[in-house]
Amino acid sequence: MHHLVIDRWSRGSSPLHARDPRAKLAVLLVFLVAVSTTPPRAQLAFVAYAALLIVAIRLAHLPLRGMAGRAALVLPFSATFALITWWSGDPLRALALAEKSFLSGMAALLMVSSTPLTAWTAALESWRAPRMLILVIQFVYRYLFVIAEQAQRMRWAALCRRGTQKGYFDFSAAAGLLGVLFARSWQRADGIYHAMLSRGFHGRFVPSPPPPFRASDAMFCSTCFAGCLAIRLLL
Amino acid sequence: MHIPDGFLTPPVWGTLDVISAPAVAWVARRAQRNTQDQQIPLLGVMGAFVFAAQMVNFPVGPGTSGHLVGGTLLAIVLGPAPAALVMTAILFLQALIFQDGGVLALGANVFNMALLGVAAGYLPCRLWGRKPLTIFAGGAFSVMTSACLALGQLRIAGVPMAGSVLWASLGLFLIGALMEGAITVAAVRAIERLNPAWVAGGPQSSSSRTLPALAMAALALVVAGTLISSAVPDGIQRLTGQGGTTAAWNLRVIDGIGGLILIFALCFLGGKLIFRRRSA
Repeated sequence: MHHLVIDRWSRGSSPLHARDPRAKLAVLLVFLVAVSTTPPRAQLAFVAYAALLIVAIRLAHLPLRGMAGRAALVLPFSATFALITWWSGDPLRALALAEKSFLSGMAALLMVSSTPLTAWTAALESWRAPRMLILVIQFVYRYLFVIAEQAQRMRWAALCRRGTQKGYFDFSAAAGLLGVLFARSWQRADGIYHAMLSRGFHGRFVPSPPPPFRASDAMFCSTCFAGCLAIRLLL
Repeated sequence: MHIPDGFLTPPVWGTLDVISAPAVAWVARRAQRNTQDQQIPLLGVMGAFVFAAQMVNFPVGPGTSGHLVGGTLLAIVLGPAPAALVMTAILFLQALIFQDGGVLALGANVFNMALLGVAAGYLPCRLWGRKPLTIFAGGAFSVMTSACLALGQLRIAGVPMAGSVLWASLGLFLIGALMEGAITVAAVRAIERLNPAWVAGGPQSSSSRTLPALAMAALALVVAGTLISSAVPDGIQRLTGQGGTTAAWNLRVIDGIGGLILIFALCFLGGKLIFRRRSA
């Protein structure tokens, strides 16, 4: 099965990986709010935020270039709007728009690259996020690549059978493919449920108790909060 | 249209986060009440299906293709509350793992696409029965509502948009909306051919139509309002007495969001009153 590179990154071991997911989520939110409320003229602050992120990425033993490449996925959208803003005569604001969206994307990426999905969803649940939503998020993530690979295989098979012009794919054939993909997904869900039953599922998931919030986590939180606050207020 | 972080101002994303969080909790409770055990994996797998379905390209004319957005299809297959929940889960994963949409802007994206987008896709079928025409209308209306809401929020947040840019984006939205309608109809038909039972549990037009009709009117008002305000931005500005773009943006924020909430509250209360009188 094709695994997302984030999945591999999130299982690493580093000082950042060892922190409590609740602490990392809280720091992420504070960082995002600080970036969001920084005025466009405080360009120095954006440099400081980037420096803070780079230090954290180094601390987490994650590849800086790979992460920047993934975070750059936000750029096409924000660059379009930044260009429009530039044209309407506000270059500083245009720059801030692109910087804010890139830094925010990078921070979210750092959080999920240093925390396994089960850990951050458990943290959300301990903050009273609806249990049903958490379950659906976990199931979607678990079967995302299974179903996506099935779709890819079916697309290739359909193209091989048709053997017409390259890439040409007729509308009703695409709809039929979607129908079959739906049927296979439905069957898979049925199979998953029966597998759960045979492993003793009785209609309720028992959440595991959250690990204790250690002094080092509190230290990490307060250091990061102080850093964000200092950049936001002083620069 | 996923709004990334950095575009919305704190009052805008803050308000929408505060609105969306209890709404998602309510949707989750409703979905939990209406689903059996065996449907928990089904909801997750359907979310994964929508992700995968977005990889299947539908050719529309020479050189262009579109893909399913999926809110309407989910609402027809699973019902509105589970569909909104699945869409919320997808938006969470897109924001955190795929860098598609922001984390602080998650409330806005959930509001636009998971809550009102799914509602807009579901309502036509709920009002006039499940026919190809209503499914088409649902798909198109769903995309149009999400897009207009996102556009409105960006403008309230003060992202400058010239008239030509607005018209170009509205044109793109309209094409996207028509495509979503056509793809949803084709997909529902293909699924029905394989096993009619899968889509049989979907929306049916039933006796109580007042509330859905009012909700539909409110959503239509949102779309129409966005279209009109983009068509004559100067007129709106003259109407509100704001000379230029230098007007305090936080006032505009309060105006915009307050107006939206007021319209929804009025429609909701009116619907409740009429509903109660009818059933009494």
